[in-house]
Amino acid sequence: MKHLVHLVRVLTLCVPPLVHAADDFTFDLSTYAAPGPFELNGYAEVKYEHQRLDRDSPLYRLNFADSDRDALDRSTAALELTGTYRSGDSRLSATWHGQQQHDELADTGSGRFYELYLAHQADATTTVEVGKRALKWGKGYAWNPVGFIERPKDPVDPELSREGFIIAGADFIHTSGGDLHTVAFTPVLLPVSDEVNDDFGAEGALNAAAKLYLLYRDVDVDLLWLSEGSRPGRVGLDFSANLAANLELHGEYAYIGAHEQTLLVAGSLVSRTIAAHSWLLGLRYLTERDTTWIAEYYHDDRGYTQDEMEDFLRQVDSASTAALPQLRSIGQAGYTRPNAMRNYLYLRIAQKEPFDILYFNPALTAISNLNDGSWSLTPELLYTGITDFELRLRATLLGGGRLSEFGAKPNDSRIELRLRYSF
Amino acid sequence: MTRIIVTLILAALTPLAHAIEANELLRQVDRNLQPESYEMYRKLVNIEPDGKRKEYVLYSVKKGGDRVLALFLDPPSEKGRSTLRLGDNMWLYIPNVGKPLRITSLQSVIGGVFNNADILRVDYAAEYDAESVEDTADAYVLKLKAKNNTVAYDRLVMQVDRKHKVPVTIEAYAASGLLIKTLHYSQMKDFGGGLVRPALLETDSPLYRDYKSVMIYASIKQRDLPDEVFSLNYMGRVDDLRGK
Repeated sequence: MKHLVHLVRVLTLCVPPLVHAADDFTFDLSTYAAPGPFELNGYAEVKYEHQRLDRDSPLYRLNFADSDRDALDRSTAALELTGTYRSGDSRLSATWHGQQQHDELADTGSGRFYELYLAHQADATTTVEVGKRALKWGKGYAWNPVGFIERPKDPVDPELSREGFIIAGADFIHTSGGDLHTVAFTPVLLPVSDEVNDDFGAEGALNAAAKLYLLYRDVDVDLLWLSEGSRPGRVGLDFSANLAANLELHGEYAYIGAHEQTLLVAGSLVSRTIAAHSWLLGLRYLTERDTTWIAEYYHDDRGYTQDEMEDFLRQVDSASTAALPQLRSIGQAGYTRPNAMRNYLYLRIAQKEPFDILYFNPALTAISNLNDGSWSLTPELLYTGITDFELRLRATLLGGGRLSEFGAKPNDSRIELRLRYSF
Repeated sequence: MTRIIVTLILAALTPLAHAIEANELLRQVDRNLQPESYEMYRKLVNIEPDGKRKEYVLYSVKKGGDRVLALFLDPPSEKGRSTLRLGDNMWLYIPNVGKPLRITSLQSVIGGVFNNADILRVDYAAEYDAESVEDTADAYVLKLKAKNNTVAYDRLVMQVDRKHKVPVTIEAYAASGLLIKTLHYSQMKDFGGGLVRPALLETDSPLYRDYKSVMIYASIKQRDLPDEVFSLNYMGRVDDLRGK
């Protein structure tokens, strides 16, 4: 271990020095003090993945249709551009994401606007926005039960940007000097038709949502609501507070009055409507040695029980090849979505520059399915020693019974190397 | 007997008189360092033991004693991130994440010797009580004690330039007496609007041997902003304040 640490230290010294060689403490303000109306920045990245496949797993059949493939290599190139144009009190903002993916099965490419919206700030208290916007609500790190109008995130990579929905919204802020320091109200309209937001839910509805934010003493509280429409109506609450200087507590709760769930029972699709509760409780703790611990417990009534998931996976196991496309479609609608069951535990440990190895930041992320005992483990290493570059090496290991969520996945493990350049 | 009583009363009141003067000096230091409400551009430089540098450019706005909002302008990997401080509360906004998360004053969003409390510094008088002031030949020496245990440093020993009433050095101590870091102010500069203060702040720490962090102040201007700017909902729009 000592030799490895020493080797890594030596390797960091081999990296070319950054821009300045001498003690030059100057600052040319001209570039920053008078910003132009137009700004553009973003990142470009390349990623390589190697997956070790599990030919015995039920979902291998669903994805690779009785192939004899043991591994899958995939390379991805992505470009994300963020642009802003300002004129007076108005701003046009856009984020465009494009990527090209190649593996042994297919070449696919896509490019779309994640955001494209116009914002007008009447004054500091009032802002109106129209267009495609990714509004992210909630305090949870890996999951957000109160993320009523956003796309689900990847719990293993929760900081990735996500595509928004077309909305019209506003933001009203009021502050005062008392215990209730800040009140902010954010109403949103989200139309759904065959051409607009068609993947949000049932078409032909004008959905309304709202968030009321309160800073009461030192506690953040949000009250959230989504109207009945393309999705079942729901209400929610979240909070975040510091219990100590280095310890933060957060939580979310959502109540969905009439969630419709589709189950595959004895080969037939059955629908049921339930009143669902979904909630999350989490902690973030920073140690004196700069280790960050994040732990979250997540429960969702809308998730499948262990028996229900095993039933589906057994049916996949025994299905004919002709039946697999339909099962794949049923799975995508529920069973094979990430974290589709009821109770999960998330733990992330991140250490800043251990053993004084400059610019190396390792982390470990673990997700445990508390219903079936399956798990995923993701160690990663992040290197940021070269300005504007980020190199990340990450592995994912999956474990659990054959008919468990993580055990049934088509792959046993995956290793990924990603290089990102920000500009 | 009367003389003894008067002497005793004067002896009891003398520390109180110095304490009052000490706090008044501390308030002067705060106003000489920055207006109560301002906008500011500065560069932070982290110098690693091997000589490599990482540079950050920040735009900050402040209002009153304890409200500060800072926006990263450079490098591109940090651009668009903002941090907000309201009293003892701090939040970090990352554009991709799209919502603010609570952070602590002891963390450092940029690494290096400066922590979040240094970057989002509020008035010293908002966080510290001046316990005493010593009048030496070269400087005033202020001894400050944190008002509560959420403040980043338990005690400060501040050497104040006699002429300009600005800090020259500040030693920051933990409650255990451990020296956490030393701040060195230098390069007096006229920022306009009657503000003459050091333009360079260097810091070193026995806890981060061979590391050094430097803050270069380029522009500090009086600016009054609405209270609503200092709220979570505004953290994604801080850039709209610049150039207006």
